[in-house]
Amino acid sequence: MKCAEVRKFVRLYLDSELDAKNSFEVEQHLESCVECAGLFEAEKKFDVRLGRFLRDGHATRALWENIEAQIAPVRRAKLRALWPIALAVSLLIAAGAAFLTKSRSLDLANAVEECHSAYVHQLTAPEFNGPVPDKIAQQFGGQLDTAAFAYLPSQTTFSSSGARLCHVEGVPVALILGHCGKTPVSMIVFKKSEIDRFPETKRKLESGDPIACSHSGRYQFAARFVDDHVVCVVGDRPRPALEDLLRTVRRADG
Amino acid sequence: MNNQEQHLAAARFLALLRPIQRDLENYSRRMVFDRRDFEDALQNAVLRAFRAFDRYHDDASFRAWMFKILTNEIFAINRKRGRVAQFEIAVEPEEVEEFATLDFAGEMPLSWETLADALDEELLTALQSLNGAERAVLLMRGIGDLRYREISECLGIPLGSVMGNLSRARQKMRAAILRVRRLRRAGVQPLWNEGGRSSL
Repeated sequence: MKCAEVRKFVRLYLDSELDAKNSFEVEQHLESCVECAGLFEAEKKFDVRLGRFLRDGHATRALWENIEAQIAPVRRAKLRALWPIALAVSLLIAAGAAFLTKSRSLDLANAVEECHSAYVHQLTAPEFNGPVPDKIAQQFGGQLDTAAFAYLPSQTTFSSSGARLCHVEGVPVALILGHCGKTPVSMIVFKKSEIDRFPETKRKLESGDPIACSHSGRYQFAARFVDDHVVCVVGDRPRPALEDLLRTVRRADG
Repeated sequence: MNNQEQHLAAARFLALLRPIQRDLENYSRRMVFDRRDFEDALQNAVLRAFRAFDRYHDDASFRAWMFKILTNEIFAINRKRGRVAQFEIAVEPEEVEEFATLDFAGEMPLSWETLADALDEELLTALQSLNGAERAVLLMRGIGDLRYREISECLGIPLGSVMGNLSRARQKMRAAILRVRRLRRAGVQPLWNEGGRSSL
């Protein structure tokens, strides 16, 4: 290919719209022609600059939460129509369960179930990886710290896919989302000073039990104090496995 | 569709939607004529898409499908503001040929390198110099990262029109940036909102 021919293809090439044969020939020419290579490079730089300008802007969290809320509650709305039956069945199950066993979920386990369930059903996803972005840290309101996002199990079976800020009964928490094998596992971390919101869990943890275990809906739940934070793990895993995982949780930046 | 199926559809829809929320919002912000409309456009489009989600096929690009729905919503809203996208501009077959023969080298020597350092306000002014069709095509490419063919399907215009509008948009952008710079050098403050558009 000669310069004039190559230059006809500058836009198609940069937009990846050129077929393989012509792309190859363009590339070959660019390797040997400084002038054309400079021309293509200049055009590419302008593309990058323009793209950065056009994409500059963030997703407005409140707007998207509002939109998503109109999509996600379909199920809840439908269920609401069946509430009399659901209520009767729930009462029967609850009475039966209370009769058969004295064990029940801890308050904190109940509260975090929704977070984990949303993750399992892909209704929530990580917002970031690595350091906490400033715009998220600004929402802590003194009730949470960036250190909460630095906790991770040292057990290699857990792989984190990122984190997000979440609220549990009004308490801001670090929600660290990951997997053990193929099973989704959520880790919830918040300041120890907020444990008063969950008196049952507080009582259990302060009674000498290093780890408080419970059901969290259909999932297993385990919590313990680590430094000046409360760390919980939730997942559809055997309880001993979850306890083992929790025992290895450390501050990654500590 | 039973409850479980609806719940799964919502989960699947949101999983596809979340990675492109930022791009959709940027596109909406820059495409609506009146900035107050961008949220309505976005919300209407997403809910419309969700209602039609059973007609979406996995082999198609979700991104392109969403941009198409959002674009239609934006055009409908802009129409209410009395703004009509100018897609009636006919692009003749020769224009496609002409596109392939454009001599970009003629523009290159002095300007291209410096344009990579264009300031935000220069780019903003340049963007405002585009008509609706040029703007839509440029934003679909620049924000949506859509292929020419996808843009053509989104807007319901021939491939040649996509190429023509994109080429014109880029040339107008360059020309507008250089004009702003010339005006600045001459000590004249460029007009920021020549078309009365209040969006960015």
